[in-house]
Amino acid sequence: MKLGLRNLYIVPTGFGWLWLGGALFLQLVAIQTQSNGPLLLSFVMLALQLLSLHLTHGQLEGLEVRCGQPEPAFAGEAAAYPLIVRVPSACEGLEWRLPPGSFQGVGSLGPGEHQVALTWTPEQRGWQRPGKLRLQTTAPLGLFVCWSRWQVPAEQLIYPAPKPGPVRQVPMADWREKTAAAGALAGEGSEEWQDLRPHRRGDSSSRMAWKLLAQGRGAQTKRFQDPRLEPTLLAPDPALPQEEALEHLCDRLCQLHRQGQSYGLALTGLQIAPDRGNSHRDRCLEALALCR
Amino acid sequence: MPVNTGPMHAVPVKAGGGLPWLAMGLLTAAAWGVAPFSLLGGLSLILLLLTALKLREARQRREFRLVSLLQLVTAGLLGAQQAELGSSLLQGLAVLAALAGLLQLELGGVTHLGSLLRRSGQLLLAALPMALVLFLLFPRFGPFSNLGGLGQFGAAATTGLSTTLEPGTIATLTQDRSPAARVAFPGGGPPPVPQRLWRVLVHDQFDGQSWRSLTAGTAGTATAGAGTPRPRDPEAFAGTDPSLGGAPTPGATQVWLSEPNGLLEVPWSGEGLPLDRHLKRDGQGQLRYDGSVGVRKLYSLAAEPAAAAWRRQPPTAQDLQMAAGKNPRLETLAAGWRLQGSGGAKAVALAEAWFRQQGFRYSLTNPLLPQIAPLDALLFEQRQGFCGHYASALSALMRAAGVPARVVSGYRGGTWVVPVGGSSFLDLRQSDAHAWSEVWIDGEGWRTVDPTLWVLGGPTTVGDSAAASAQAPRAMAAAADPGGPLDWLARQWWGLDLAWGEWWLGFDQRSQEMLLQRLLGPYRDWAGALLLVALALTLALGLAVYGWLRRRGEGDRLQQELNQLLRSCARSGLVPQPGETLGQFGGRLRQARPLLGPELEDFVDLLQQQRYGRPGAPQRQALGRLRRWGQSLRRQLRRSPS
Repeated sequence: MKLGLRNLYIVPTGFGWLWLGGALFLQLVAIQTQSNGPLLLSFVMLALQLLSLHLTHGQLEGLEVRCGQPEPAFAGEAAAYPLIVRVPSACEGLEWRLPPGSFQGVGSLGPGEHQVALTWTPEQRGWQRPGKLRLQTTAPLGLFVCWSRWQVPAEQLIYPAPKPGPVRQVPMADWREKTAAAGALAGEGSEEWQDLRPHRRGDSSSRMAWKLLAQGRGAQTKRFQDPRLEPTLLAPDPALPQEEALEHLCDRLCQLHRQGQSYGLALTGLQIAPDRGNSHRDRCLEALALCR
Repeated sequence: MPVNTGPMHAVPVKAGGGLPWLAMGLLTAAAWGVAPFSLLGGLSLILLLLTALKLREARQRREFRLVSLLQLVTAGLLGAQQAELGSSLLQGLAVLAALAGLLQLELGGVTHLGSLLRRSGQLLLAALPMALVLFLLFPRFGPFSNLGGLGQFGAAATTGLSTTLEPGTIATLTQDRSPAARVAFPGGGPPPVPQRLWRVLVHDQFDGQSWRSLTAGTAGTATAGAGTPRPRDPEAFAGTDPSLGGAPTPGATQVWLSEPNGLLEVPWSGEGLPLDRHLKRDGQGQLRYDGSVGVRKLYSLAAEPAAAAWRRQPPTAQDLQMAAGKNPRLETLAAGWRLQGSGGAKAVALAEAWFRQQGFRYSLTNPLLPQIAPLDALLFEQRQGFCGHYASALSALMRAAGVPARVVSGYRGGTWVVPVGGSSFLDLRQSDAHAWSEVWIDGEGWRTVDPTLWVLGGPTTVGDSAAASAQAPRAMAAAADPGGPLDWLARQWWGLDLAWGEWWLGFDQRSQEMLLQRLLGPYRDWAGALLLVALALTLALGLAVYGWLRRRGEGDRLQQELNQLLRSCARSGLVPQPGETLGQFGGRLRQARPLLGPELEDFVDLLQQQRYGRPGAPQRQALGRLRRWGQSLRRQLRRSPS
């Protein structure tokens, strides 16, 4: 969007009206005392007001705003919404607001292109668009406020708000067998003792089953397995309302991701096999966000 | 070198700091000397205090804005009371600082005091043409009479002339070299030396010892003391009040700057039409400044074609009133003159002959006169004295001879100063204080008679400082002394001050009328249209000036050169892409405009070398070459079609 005469609005601020009152008061003083000092000052104040009308308008005129590619964010938390601003000469005292939210000062922008991240707090999950962007400035003197409103076009993917709570874990009968058949090579760990296998050269001596060796049952190596290898298939708790259940799911999902465990997702009409990693998490979260 | 170097400041609203307090300090300095008990003075002091308190507790932008506005209004109120150059400068600086405080609130990124003040100066400069157009052309109104003059209540007296003249009191003043007043004569030189008598007070009540001024004094006592009805209300006799539709007079011929002297009466030549609503002449030839007594007064007078009316104002019984029997020998002498003939002229001639024959001496150190028959003691025993002595004695003698007479005190002479800049002016010191007599001559009016000229050792010509210093004791010599370097500096300043006063006080409703008359002639009705057109033009001018100043101030010299070139390019539609370096942009530019070729390459190379390389050629030379190349490139860009 390019800001110009058609989409910029300007009115005096409350301070602007007060300023006018001050100038008129000085006029009265000047008339009553017939002195030139307050007369000139009051005219200077009026001239500044007239000048300020144009200067404030000039701050925003010619400004070009377009959307960046918004990153997904969680509902209920501050979400960063990127904007790209092209400033022709200079723009000072810029303030933004994406409803719902309050004004954020951006400060002064020099000529050129700038990436600005606005924050807003989405309430709903799914593809969401913040309300109308309002950008305004009162620079240089605060006598006028010049603003424009713009419906930002780019939508932002909003995940459910993560809230701890109960989640249904779906038993996966065939899952254990499948991994066992695959040799569970990826399943090696150090936490829980699993079973023994014949010692091979290169095995750590700390894992040698010395007791069995002493009993003359041959060199065996103890095998361990991490419990988190246990894959989890998460599903919404049927006892809760859907939105709430999804929020709990989201929280559990993030928690598992942080711990590095693998997890899967079972939603109505959609099942995601257990896996790990950022892209897997994003896929699951997107599924949660768009779940109907 | 990235072309887009626009910084982004994400600074929250930050305010306060030094700027508002700087403005407060300047205002406090400007408020120095304001009469605290006058309406306007009190109002501005209270406002100043409230503003300081508000500033102390201010936390939000809204509150800081209010503080700045209050500071502006206070500066305006102070400007209504003190209009001399020094005060006006201080008020102007306070306005500058208050505006910078407002700017600071809006431009979060700029926190440097110097750059804020510069921005504020740029804004003021841009607003000034418009303000001046309004100032010159916007119709002016007379005061709302029912509200009365603001600031009438007087303050305590300071050193200077006194309403009570006892013989000898002025002698203490002659030791005082402090400034009394300055007067400039726009459009002409000073009056000839013998005419340099500057009247302040008229003393017409005589009690045998001292002369009192009944009409004079502070505003509260101005009329209360007069027991007898007096047809001497200010301006009541003259009918020459400028606001009453007299012919427009030319501009000021006397511009006065009078130090506070504890009196409402201010010095003047006795001739001239007051150009200020606060100034009133009265029937005795006193000029009264309606305002507070404790401040310096700047006022001006215009030439008046007719002789001053007070000279023909007939005497009253008061001017003959005599404390009979207090000075018997004096009365006997005067009775002899009364017998010799009537008429003031004759009496004056007789008195002059008698004074010259008696061989009185002029002296600044005199014994105290006795309580009983003091003037007898002066004239017949002591035979030495100062201007105050002789003026008292002569006026008493005249009254005893049946001729209306009074004593006038004021200043005599003064030093003509031609400063390096500003107006030339006559510098009056307290040591120039003088007293003389005025005698009513039938058919002529009030005649100025200075008996000090008749005595031995006194100044032979009125105000002739050179003659006085040759003969008179050290105090008179000191009066003629040009003084040290500080004195010189002070005089230069007063010269500027008076020039300011001439210009600043001179422009009033009447001057505006004359200006419009000159500008528009018969099309006087078009003044409104002229105002609107001039406003539009000055608004455009202000915006252009501001834009130019803003652009000029960006970055260092190298950056400014580059910016100029980039602006030229942008006009031809060549804008650097995001992330494009100067070298890349230069290459693209060369492709788009092959004619620019080598010069552009040189320009870019030198700029990069200066910015990032080891310093090769001296900075100044490099800048000079850059500027030359930049100018030539911009010219070519303008010429070559896109």
